Parts: sequence; C-alpha cells; structure tokens
Amino acid sequence: MKNNNNEKEIAKSLRREAIKKNWRLFKQSRLGMVGLYIVFFFFLLTILQPILFITGMWDESTYNPVVGYVDQTQDFLIVECPKEFPTEKYEKRSDCPGKNEVNVKTLFYADGEVGETIQLNLQPAPPSRRHILGTDSLGRDVFSQIMEGSQVAFLLGILSATLGVGISTILGTIAAFFGGKIDAYLMRQSDLVLMLPTLPLLFIISAFAELKIWHLAVVLGTIGGLGGTVITIKSQALQVKVKPFVDSARITGGSQMKILFSHVLPNVAPLALLFMVFSVTGAIASESVLSFLGLLNIEMSWGLMIYLAQVEGYIFSGLKFWWLILPAGLSVTFLTGGFYLVGRGLDEVFNPRLRKR
Amino acid sequence: MYKYIFRRIYQLVIVFFLFLVTSYILFDAIPGNAFQNMLLNPLLPPGAYEQVLALYGLDKPLSERIVLYITNFFKGDFGYSYKYYPKTPIELIAERLPRTLMLFAMVNIVAFYTGFLIGKILAWRRGSKSETWITITSVFSYTVFYPWFALMMLWFFGYKMDWLPIGKFLYPEKWYDAPFDSDVIFMLMIKFTVIVSLVMFFIYMITRNIESLNSKRNLRFTGFIFTIIGSFIFWNTGDAFTKKIYAADIAYHMILPVLTVTIVAFAGTALLTRTTMMEVLKDDYILTARAKGLSQRRIRDRHAARNALLPVVTSFIFTIVTIIDGSVLTETIFSWPGMGQLILDSVLNEDIPVAMATFSFIGVFALIAHFIADISYAYLDPRIRIQSQG
Repeated sequence: MKNNNNEKEIAKSLRREAIKKNWRLFKQSRLGMVGLYIVFFFFLLTILQPILFITGMWDESTYNPVVGYVDQTQDFLIVECPKEFPTEKYEKRSDCPGKNEVNVKTLFYADGEVGETIQLNLQPAPPSRRHILGTDSLGRDVFSQIMEGSQVAFLLGILSATLGVGISTILGTIAAFFGGKIDAYLMRQSDLVLMLPTLPLLFIISAFAELKIWHLAVVLGTIGGLGGTVITIKSQALQVKVKPFVDSARITGGSQMKILFSHVLPNVAPLALLFMVFSVTGAIASESVLSFLGLLNIEMSWGLMIYLAQVEGYIFSGLKFWWLILPAGLSVTFLTGGFYLVGRGLDEVFNPRLRKR
Repeated sequence: MYKYIFRRIYQLVIVFFLFLVTSYILFDAIPGNAFQNMLLNPLLPPGAYEQVLALYGLDKPLSERIVLYITNFFKGDFGYSYKYYPKTPIELIAERLPRTLMLFAMVNIVAFYTGFLIGKILAWRRGSKSETWITITSVFSYTVFYPWFALMMLWFFGYKMDWLPIGKFLYPEKWYDAPFDSDVIFMLMIKFTVIVSLVMFFIYMITRNIESLNSKRNLRFTGFIFTIIGSFIFWNTGDAFTKKIYAADIAYHMILPVLTVTIVAFAGTALLTRTTMMEVLKDDYILTARAKGLSQRRIRDRHAARNALLPVVTSFIFTIVTIIDGSVLTETIFSWPGMGQLILDSVLNEDIPVAMATFSFIGVFALIAHFIADISYAYLDPRIRIQSQG
C-alpha cells in the first residue's frame, strides 16, 4: 500500500517536472507568449463585465449590451445645403452638413428654421468618458458589446474545440489501432463530411434550426471533429502504433484497451491539444462569418456588430464612425491570432525539430 | 496495390451515393419550398399552387423523390432549375464556372508563389527581427476576419481612393454593343493564363538543372521577358485584338478581389512552408551540405526548399478543392457572379436541382482529390502500412 503511494508520488512529481519543463520551452518562443497575453487580455474582458455589473459600477439599464440605452443630446446648428458645389463654406457634397450641423431637409421629427440651434439625439455617439468606445446607432455601449462578444467567442470556441477534438482523437486513434473495416468506415465517413462544403452546409442548418450559441458550438464541433482532423490524428497514431514500446506492451500481455488508452492515446494527446488550439480559431471565425451574414439567433457577438455596422451603412463612412467598425473587427482578428500564436508556441514545445537548438 | 485501388473505387462510389442522399435530405429539411412565395399572391387561382408542385414533382414523398433523383443523376439528367426555369443546372454551372476559375486560379497561383517564397525566407532567417515582423504580418493576414477585411479594402480602394470599381465584373455600359458574350472573353482569358503559366513552368523546369545560380537567374529572366513580349503580340493581333478592351475591362474589375484574397491566402502557405522547412533544416543532409562548404543560397534553394515543397504541394491540392466552397463569401462581398453566388442563391431559394448539381460537382472534385492524395501517400510512404487500411 505504502509502496503504491510512493509510486503515485513519484509519478506526480514527474508530471510536475514535465509541465515545468514544457512551460520553460514555451516561454522561449516570444510570439507564443504574445499570443498568450492577447488571449489573457480578452479573458480579462470577459470576466470584467459581470464584475462591473455586480459591483454596481455599471448601471444595467445603461450598459446592457443588448437593451441598454442612455439619452445623449447635443446642440446642432440647422443649415441648408446648397444645390451646387463648391461654395465658400463647403468644398464637396460630402462636407455638408459639417460638424455640429444638421441639414434642414433631414429633420423629420423636429421643427426648426435655418440658423437656429436644436437639441438632437446623438447616436451613434463618439467615445466619451461615459462610453469608452462610444455607442452604436441604438445608443448601446460598444465597449460592453465587445465584452459580451468576447464571452460568446470564448464559450463557443472552447466548447466546440473540445468537443471536436475529443471526437476526432478518439475516432482517429481507434481507426489507426484497429484498422480493417472500422478504419475504412471511419475514413469514408470523414471523406463524406469533407465533401460537404462547410459554409453552404451551415446556411442550410441555420435555415431549419434556430441556432443559439450552444447549438452552433455542437454543430461546429461535430463537423470539425468528423472531418479532416480524424485523418491527421490517425496518421499520427499510425506512427505511434509501429513504435517498439507498443509491440513490447503487446508481448508482455497488455490488453488492447490498456495499450490503446495508456500507450497510444497519451502519445497522440499533444497533437490533439495543438489541433484544439487551432480549431478555436476556426470556430470563432465561423461564428463571426455566420453572424456577419445575419444567420444566427444570438443577441450579441462581434460578427453581429459588424453586420449591424454594414447594414446601417456605416462601413463605407470610413473612419468617421471608426468605433463601430474597428473594435469588433480587430477583436475577432486579435483573439483568433492570439490563439493561433499560442498554438504555434505549443507546436514548438511538442515538436523538437522546430526548436531553435 | 491494384486490389487496394479497386477497393477504394468501390468505397468511393458508396460514399458518393451516401453524399447524394445526405445532401438531398438536407435540402429537403429546409422549411418551405421554392414556390411558396406564390401563395403571397392574393389573386392566385385555387389549385394553381398544387398544380405547380405536381408539375415539378414536389408533391411526391421524400423517399420517392430521392430514388427518382439518384436514378436520373446516374443517367446524366440533372433536371431543370426552379428559378431560371428553362435552363438546366449544367448550363448554369458552365456559365458561372469560368468566372470563378479565372478569379481563383489567379489568386492561387500568386498566393502559392509568394507564400512559398516568404516561408522559405522566414525559416532561413530564423530569430532575426525581420522574421518576427514578417511572421506577425502573416499571422495577422492569416487570422484576419475576412468579410471585415474585404469590406475595408473595398472602402479604401473602391470608395475612398476611387481607384478600383466596387463589385461586379464588368461595366455594363461598355458591353452594350459588344459582339461577344462575357463567357467567351472569360474562356479566352483562362486559356491565356493557362498557356502563360505552362510556359513559365517549362522555363522553370528547363533551367532547373543548370548549375551556376547566376546564369540560371539570367536565363529565367530572359524567358520571362520573352513571355511578356509574346503575350503582348498575342493581344495585339488577329482575333484577340477585338476582344482586348473587353478583357481589359474584366481584368480591371478583377484586381481588387485578387488582391484581397491573395493577402489572406498567401499567409497560410507561408506559415506552412516555414514549419516544414524548419523540420527539414534539422535533417542530417543539410549538415552534410554545410560541411561540404556549399553556399548558403544553394543549401536553402536546392537542398532544403525542394524537400519542404512536398507537404506544401499536398496541402495546396486540398486548398484547390476548397476553392469553390471558399468563393461563397468572396463572391458575395464583391458581387462577383460566379459559382459561390450560384450555390448561395440556390440554397437560399431552395432551388434543389441546381443546389444538388453544384454540391455534387464540389463533391466529385473533393473525392477525386482525396483519392489521389491517398493513393500517393500509400505509394510514397511505406511506414503507413497499406495492409492495415481496410
């Protein structure tokens, strides 16, 4: 009994040592650390929003990413735009109305004469002290939306990546280990999934099922897990299977299950972890694309923010409304990039041939 | 080996059959059908809707329709499009495919060459400052949120700077009295591109075995100049001369999509090349080459890069499969009426014959590519034991 305990202790300390060593290797890749910082930054954003709401620093009615609203008014000077350009005041048609001015022809709900000042709602409002990144056209806080979107991205990315890589690791190892008919079946199955074009397939699924975040995570995970990853993991497992220690385990009388779970699977696990990190990238990008096309039934996400900015025509206003366009797009880019860099760092840890010396 | 190939072909047919059934069930699962908007018409005579459904065979149960579709499919009859009625799906695909091929063949050739070049340099200059910055740039363009990036490019080049057209593939006003179809021009352009790239490839292959790096470069450069002169002559003589303005119009519209997709697509090749190249650089024969005192460039280009090319080319074959799939988003944003838009259109309108035809087109493409990749793997790599593969 004591002996057994001792063995466990040794195993534990060995594992701790290995983790420490791997961490040291990971720290050597500078870009991997940059990626980790980026991911960590977005993770902070996800947990910051609930904290702000619970502690009462943020008022729920003002800062709610979906229904929050606060009045913001500003004085505007009513002008009449000339028919011909250029005039003394305006050079081009796009210069009128200028800053803090409003065209008399676009005043539908308010009365006013040319030359008067009028108080109008200012939405989308530029960044101010109250709204760090301004508001969108419905008066909702953009910074709060970014935080909500990062919650969605983390939930969806990690859930679908875990599910997908779990499925493909198990299937790939089984295919490599048992071979024969099981292998043929599994490989043809992944052929079938790979044959279906991904984006149109997601369109179809979103047409007959109302996709919420959870459903989308399951769908993306399953499609990713049954597809190409199985083939890659299988080829890795095949290389493990022909290694001498598997043969020696078989000769010493290890059962098939034992060999599968304690010899083959642990040697495939690093690659699986790597794929998991990379497939987080894919899941976040897919979600953003789908909500960018307006096909998802979710309340707020980064893709939806860009979709709204595009539908309402702010995207071609250039940088005048930058807070509607840049934060969301850059968030998607940076978070996926961060995960990608972490994956690359892990790649260098697990694949000694990629290391510097 | 032959036994293996035969078994694979047999499995291939079964997979394709399952693929057809799955896709049909998926399309059928979309609520409603292609003719449902007829019901919005208040003046619709009673029974007309049912009559239309019966005409297109949509009133039959699902199983019967699947059997009918698949038997007709193997007879070579793909039915008629619901939306563009007298046209068949084959006609539609034949009309749209050249446009997509033209656009994405350009993109892939450019992206592959630049990606391979950059990846090669990245692996070679490992640890330097320039490597870090190029890597950051390529990771950015690899993971950038594509629709957003494409819209920003459209805004900058098409709207703000007004250098390039926004969307569509031609100016209609230039084509009012054009004696040709746009497809004729597209086919001509595809032929031109293919011939030019074949010529370039030949030049590359012929000069490959020349020992001196300097004379090799000079020869390649001369060949390049001759290709340019030849294409100049081609566009200024005979039949092609009359088509030149129209081809130029299409090419002008192609610049922005090609640029955008290339920026996004080259990074994948570059990063993959870097990884495989770095693995190759650890091999013993590189050390031998260094010990022999060969020049750095020779080791890089001759010994390392050529061996790193194999996995990159394999992954490139797989990206060719995803061309049509990936074109959906690009063609929607740039309103380029190609295959991607056809797929999206047919799926959203539930134009089942067209959707099935496009899906099976992609499917056949993918199946053949996977088959070839599988066979070549089994042929090239004895470690992956062919006997174990069912």
